[in-house]
Amino acid sequence: MSGCGLFLCSVAARFCRAPAAFTVSRRPLLTSPPSRAFAKDLFLGKIQKKEVFPFPEVSQDELKEINQFVGPVEKFFTEEVDSRKIDQEGKIPDETLEKLKSLGLFGMQVPEEYGGLGLSNTMYARLGEVIGLDASIAVTLAAHQAIGLKGIILAGSKEQKARYLPRLASGEHVAAFCLTEPASGSDAASIRTRATLSADKRHYILNGAKVWITNGGLANVFTVFAKTEVVDSDGSVKDKMTAFIVERDFGGVTNGKPEDKMGIRGSNTCEVHFENTRVPVENVLGEVGGGFKVAMNILNSGRFSMGSVVAGMLKKLIEMTAEYACTRKQFNRNLSEFGLIQEKFALMAQKAYVMESMAYLTAAMLDAPGFPDCSIEAAMVKVFSSEGAWTCVSEALQILGGSGYIRDYPYERLLRDSRILLIFEGTNEILRMYIALTGLQHAGRILTARVNELKRGNVTTIMETVGQRLRDSLGRTVDLGLTGKLGVVHPSLADGAHKLEENVYYFGRSVETLLLRFGKAIVEEQLVLKRVANVLVNLYGMTAVLSRASRSIRLGLRDHDHEVLLANIFCSEAYHQNLFTLSQLDKRLFWAPDL
Amino acid sequence: MSWAQAILLARGLSRGWGGICSTALTGAPFSQVPPQAPRGLRCSAAAHNPDSSLVPRPPEPPRQPVKALAVHEELFRPALDGTRDKANFVRAVQNFAQYNVHKRGHVDFIYLALRKMREYGVERDLSVYNLLLDVFPKEVFRPRNIFHSIFLHYPRQQECGIAVLEQMENHGVMPNNETEFLLMQIFGRKSYPMLKLVRMKLWFTRFKNINPFPVPRDLPQDPVDLASLALRHMEPDLSARVTTYQMPLPKDSPDTMDPTETHIVGIQSPEQQSALARHDPARPIFVEGPFSLWLRDKCVYYHILRADLLPPEEREVEEIPEEWNLYYPMQLDLAYGRSGWDDYEFDIDEVEEGPVFAICVAGAHDQATLAKWIQGLQETNPALARIPVVFRLSGSSGELLASSSELEEPPPPPPEGQEEEEDSQQRQQQGQS
Repeated sequence: MSGCGLFLCSVAARFCRAPAAFTVSRRPLLTSPPSRAFAKDLFLGKIQKKEVFPFPEVSQDELKEINQFVGPVEKFFTEEVDSRKIDQEGKIPDETLEKLKSLGLFGMQVPEEYGGLGLSNTMYARLGEVIGLDASIAVTLAAHQAIGLKGIILAGSKEQKARYLPRLASGEHVAAFCLTEPASGSDAASIRTRATLSADKRHYILNGAKVWITNGGLANVFTVFAKTEVVDSDGSVKDKMTAFIVERDFGGVTNGKPEDKMGIRGSNTCEVHFENTRVPVENVLGEVGGGFKVAMNILNSGRFSMGSVVAGMLKKLIEMTAEYACTRKQFNRNLSEFGLIQEKFALMAQKAYVMESMAYLTAAMLDAPGFPDCSIEAAMVKVFSSEGAWTCVSEALQILGGSGYIRDYPYERLLRDSRILLIFEGTNEILRMYIALTGLQHAGRILTARVNELKRGNVTTIMETVGQRLRDSLGRTVDLGLTGKLGVVHPSLADGAHKLEENVYYFGRSVETLLLRFGKAIVEEQLVLKRVANVLVNLYGMTAVLSRASRSIRLGLRDHDHEVLLANIFCSEAYHQNLFTLSQLDKRLFWAPDL
Repeated sequence: MSWAQAILLARGLSRGWGGICSTALTGAPFSQVPPQAPRGLRCSAAAHNPDSSLVPRPPEPPRQPVKALAVHEELFRPALDGTRDKANFVRAVQNFAQYNVHKRGHVDFIYLALRKMREYGVERDLSVYNLLLDVFPKEVFRPRNIFHSIFLHYPRQQECGIAVLEQMENHGVMPNNETEFLLMQIFGRKSYPMLKLVRMKLWFTRFKNINPFPVPRDLPQDPVDLASLALRHMEPDLSARVTTYQMPLPKDSPDTMDPTETHIVGIQSPEQQSALARHDPARPIFVEGPFSLWLRDKCVYYHILRADLLPPEEREVEEIPEEWNLYYPMQLDLAYGRSGWDDYEFDIDEVEEGPVFAICVAGAHDQATLAKWIQGLQETNPALARIPVVFRLSGSSGELLASSSELEEPPPPPPEGQEEEEDSQQRQQQGQS
């Protein structure tokens, strides 16, 4: 912890010096209040070092607490949970569910005053690593608390919390999140479920059908989104989305038979129908007509945990695969001695390391005081970890050869299970749009201000711009102050840090060019947006590993030399990917037919 | 020796022809040779010029050698049971080769056979074409020296060879290696039929799949099936539904002549339905037509239900609702749009047209029939009852209207030549579209 303080000092000193190297980020036009968003500032070509360096740590008390807690859970998952049986029968056995409830896993993030564990995001992520050992259980738990009851925590009134949270936290009631409809995925306008106010104005009558509801058959409490008529400020009547807490006991709630899925077969997914369900007015979540924001907040907050869940699963997979590769002999050599096999292990270890770093960095950002908006970071963690999971499981199957394809072994189940990660909680395509557009929105606001200044003929602005262009054209080296005498990155990672700095700087320039090129029409340029998002995901990953590996070296953690290797490999790979993507975005360098 | 003999033989043949031709009767009876309508070529200019076509016109028709033709005609006498199929045709060709060791009159025989192919239903059979080419004597017409190849060597035979290839082309038959080998044997590498073959091999592969909206080779005979095929062909929306509003009366019923009892088949997509529901009842909609659509050698006439374009001030501007996408912003609040340097669109003047709400194909093109269609449409489009419908059945295409009155009853199957003309028209249309 003292090391941490030291770094903060060094960062502060770095800021005070404000040498020539800092001119890049010294934009006097930045009049907006300093935001706590690291990713958004990457769009401006800047690294908010305070946000990500040094790598966050948990206090000793917290660590003790979490270790006490993780132990029994891990024991339970490795010894008592039979994933194969769950997968084959398509159902989590009742005794397993009971045990999960008794361990308190149904109320991990419910505040302690309501009977939950009140875990911080970091601790929740740590538990996620253990829970990730069985995908069906992980999904069931996530649907219950990451989205199912999250609405009550985020937007519920005191009475609602007191009424529902204790029973939800104990697992007596299971929650489900009902948003998707046959005609509506991410399109909120096409939601058909409707809630009409009854004559006595004390109930809403809810009618409609929801599909693909995880826990739909188990849940007693549903967060349901429906259209209601809302009188606007100008007197016109409009259809707006409203969130409701619906209990199964309200009547008229039925569910279809569980869907037969490809993976996560133990989780319960089914249709849920509401037929003249009478929901009391007190059960409106948030404001009437404010359901859209509630839904968005729930969705945005639920994503970051996937990183650690996947990392936990991958670590287990690496363990199993390594055991196989070290025992199977071909040509009198172990499989593990072959270069092509080693490469696959390196890839898996690297992906697991990066997504773990990203997940914990984001968790710590979320734990920071105030209400930091880390939805871009969370979305990046989700995109990176879900795709990493798919690649790694596929590579692992490659190492395992034939036994990876046999149903008697657990490997093919992992492949089936991991496919859903790319799809649910917002498909990766949609999340890429979100990542790119939210960041561009931020950059666009600042850029517009800058363009206006230029138009008004602000001499300093013009001089700045001209000077920057001149320096760029002279081929300057980029230095954002990550390394050097008072740098936040350890010298053995200087190479990666330089690459990150260069990428970040030119990414900022690319974003500026793109905004000038396309303006607001960039919303329609999905192929450009995808590339922007890809670069950003890589940048965030690089930052996370550099930060974490620096910390490991300075603390002298065991195997930190491997961490340095992994970090440098990842930085170098991501750097070249980024360069290629950025050149695709630059129309002078690369003419991609789809851009 | 055999070369010399062959040459002499061939020379003799052609000389003999000359003699026969000169002695032929003028105004010979033509009953056995059906009058040939002009056959279309690929290029549109040639299509209107009967002189430039090769196949249907036997060389110098007025002085056709009657006797020789009569002999060949005999070969194509229908079999005992009256069937005309490939086997009979092949037998006829083989008979010619058998009974005519010297291949006397083979050019005329080939022309005759080409004309007969359609009757026997073998006009799309490559092996039959190869068989026909095999009738030519081999090695006789090959140019022996450079002067032969400069000047048209054996012009009549070469023209005949081209005519075979031409008919293959018209029926879309791709020559194969055997064809090439035969032509090489007959005319040699440096000959006009060979040139034609090379060009066919080059262009056929390119043209084969050039139509992005392929029409099935064998069109349905039933007018209702044909109409639904045509409608599917025109409607881009795959979710559109074809409805048969009225079935034609069976052929043998006494009311066949009643034009109002013909088939009425229509198509409408869900989008068109909702557009029609949204249509302002104060504005009339129009039934227009008939317009023609060619499907290979068949023409169907269709009508559309359309409205005029809304004046710009009345159009609704599509705006993005505020709370639409749960996941990402649908618009950015930036003050500027795409810059001029990044506008990759071509400068196109687009003529905007009013919306089309439905299409129909009917057997008759009068208002009474089409009113039935509108009635049928009302069942699925209740809004139509409130909208005034104006029938504009003339003036849209004068040329077609002239024939539309005749077409009120299904036209009799056109004679052979005419069909081929339609065939060529269709090709032109495909080429233009």
